[in-house]
Amino acid sequence: MTNVRARSVVSLARIEAVHLSRSVPVLSGLMVSGVAMWLITYRSQPLWWSNDWRIGYGQTVISLTVLVGAQLATARSRRDGLQELYESFPTSTGQRTLAHLIGVLGAAPAAVLLVGVAAGAFALQGALGTPDLTTLIGGILLVLAGGVIGVAIGSRFPHPLAGVLGAFVWLLPFSQSNRFNSAIPWLFPWVKPAQLSELPRRLAGYPPALAHALELAAIVVLAGVVALAITSAARRHRVGLLVAGAAGLAGLVVTCLVQLQPIPTRDIDRVVSEAANTGAAQHCTTSEANGHNVRYCLYPAFGSLLPTVQAPVNGVLSLTPVQLAHPLTISQTSGLDIEDSTLTHGHSSQQVTAWRARLQNAPANLPSSSAIYVNLGRWPSGGHQQSVARFDLALGAAEWAVGLPTNTGPPTGLLPTQCVPLNQAREAIAIWLAARATHLPTAQFQGRNGSYSVAAVDGTAVVVWTYPGEISGYFASPGPQTTADGYLLAQAMTKLPTARVLGLLTSNWDSWISPHATNAELASALGITLPAVRLVGPRGQVITPLAPPGSQPQCTT
Amino acid sequence: MHDVNPVEQHRRFLIRSLPGLARHTLATMPWVTVFAGCASGTVVLALMAHFAGHSPLNQDNVRVTFLPAVGALAFVPHVHFRPVVQTTPVPTWIATGGQILLALPVLALTCWVQLELMASTYPAQYAKHLPAVYPLIAQLTGWCLLTLSVAAGCERTRYAALSGAIAAPAVFVAIAATSFVSPLSQHLLNPPETAPAATVAWCTIAAAALVLAVLASRDQWHRYTRRLHL
Repeated sequence: MTNVRARSVVSLARIEAVHLSRSVPVLSGLMVSGVAMWLITYRSQPLWWSNDWRIGYGQTVISLTVLVGAQLATARSRRDGLQELYESFPTSTGQRTLAHLIGVLGAAPAAVLLVGVAAGAFALQGALGTPDLTTLIGGILLVLAGGVIGVAIGSRFPHPLAGVLGAFVWLLPFSQSNRFNSAIPWLFPWVKPAQLSELPRRLAGYPPALAHALELAAIVVLAGVVALAITSAARRHRVGLLVAGAAGLAGLVVTCLVQLQPIPTRDIDRVVSEAANTGAAQHCTTSEANGHNVRYCLYPAFGSLLPTVQAPVNGVLSLTPVQLAHPLTISQTSGLDIEDSTLTHGHSSQQVTAWRARLQNAPANLPSSSAIYVNLGRWPSGGHQQSVARFDLALGAAEWAVGLPTNTGPPTGLLPTQCVPLNQAREAIAIWLAARATHLPTAQFQGRNGSYSVAAVDGTAVVVWTYPGEISGYFASPGPQTTADGYLLAQAMTKLPTARVLGLLTSNWDSWISPHATNAELASALGITLPAVRLVGPRGQVITPLAPPGSQPQCTT
Repeated sequence: MHDVNPVEQHRRFLIRSLPGLARHTLATMPWVTVFAGCASGTVVLALMAHFAGHSPLNQDNVRVTFLPAVGALAFVPHVHFRPVVQTTPVPTWIATGGQILLALPVLALTCWVQLELMASTYPAQYAKHLPAVYPLIAQLTGWCLLTLSVAAGCERTRYAALSGAIAAPAVFVAIAATSFVSPLSQHLLNPPETAPAATVAWCTIAAAALVLAVLASRDQWHRYTRRLHL
């Protein structure tokens, strides 16, 4: 008899699993989850220690829709007024609930498919590091937990709104985790830790993947026990349910306590050391291009990025006519935020202050004319964003070549610390070099649809060129603030034969990269008319820009 | 016998039938659904306000916690025993309209309470400097009327019994699209759009949704309106 019951439960579970896997909520959730995963990962460099957790974050949507779908399926009989008819069947309500609980596995293929497709896409993109199986399983458990909660809700509340409200309560922690200044967010179904993409390698315990997966498993057990307790009438089952419920509750408490444990001091200390003292923690190689030596320092896991970083720099160096005395260093840096309490919870404020001081004194936070610091978490993996980042890197190398600062350091006040190469020919030369090595981004400073920004330099309003990516954080800090005049002159120079421009620059390189050489002199030497910025308003009127408050310094030697 | 004008006779009939209609509407109104939807979001917001600490709540929090109320509203246009109502000499939309009219004060109260909860998390000196709430109210009104129009539209289909279950997720998807699809969000969210412009946009959506809801609530068959000679 027991075998008959078990077979009937399994048969029913198989049917419910098929129904669930083909239900509109689950299929739409699968689609939206895929889109969400793409949206939260496509911009940045794929790092497995960050992206395996982001895969789980993308699965929150399908977790919610599986919850709704499972609630609708479980409450089907009561909602349609067919409870009496179902009571006449040989299977009891408890057995049907058990079948629904097992049927939640019907959502697992969708979750596994998401993981597989995302993992395949990241592998094709050349994701750095290796995926963590525990984290990926945790994402699948998140989906199953949503389904089991849906069954528990549906076994008590048949109205469709109950599932929607349950999904709302399940969703809420995802959206509100940033309101908690402690390790509490780890206890939420899933969160997206901001610091993951700033780590040079996987940090054990951040996030606590194993404990979190076990917490989700405990939620599955508890919700399943609740669902069975609501519907099972047999007394002999209650002891078993009580034991299972107690085990689930104990597991939940233990896993929560484990997640609240602080990350060991030595682990954070190592991460801070790697982020702050970039030279010691990185593998440095010196590359020679056109007689120039460039030092590339990358974190060990990022070695495969070297060709991507080298290409735009070599493009600029191949056009630079003279050998420069001071070497260029391209180094990775980390935007690690030690104030993030999910990272430093449980540690004394003195310890956190010491870590903060070490990060503030990192080389990337000091002004430099010979180093470019590439943010490890922001470097794009491909597409248009990477072409933008490549131009920015080429521009940085060109600014080094003409003697402009390459790293201005963090702003000390409300005003930017970038200097402005006002009417300096070397700015246009730098932009031209970067444009020749990569491409020149389009910009519009005039016309009805044009937009412009203005900086104040010695009380004068200067229309600036905010090049694409300047404020995207690809680098620790940008170089000088480029001007619209410099951009327009460089644009005019790109229309001339490269050999003609190079010939002029080679003949008198030192003079042209002097701060005293002006745009007008360069345009005159090239035999072109000096382009001028003319701002036109929406009604065709000429606009005279006003200087904003404060003043930015001019770039000197 | 007085010979009464048919129009006057019809008007008197409607007035006489109002108490009965009101009783019927009060009885068939999905009160539990509406209150559960409105209360759940408000309770969650109250909890968030309680634990807000140094990070006060903002209008986005109200947007999120108003979603359950919007979901509940999707179940309001559904008229139980609709075929029975259609056989009576009153238009069917009266039952739908009555239920919606009863739900509106509850929703308005929910909105007011949630805005008050949000404002309570700010220190008193900042209370007068909070962002304007009229674009948010216009947005929430737009959401509600959009929900009603979708639900009323579903009521005219063969899936009338599932109108709420279909309308609620459909509107949630539409709301997500207006929030995350940049061509839409640029015109409907404040910021980036200015408060008056966003308000006008949502009022336009609300007006269009209202028209659709009214059209969808009409009788599904041609009602015989001439005087009956019985």
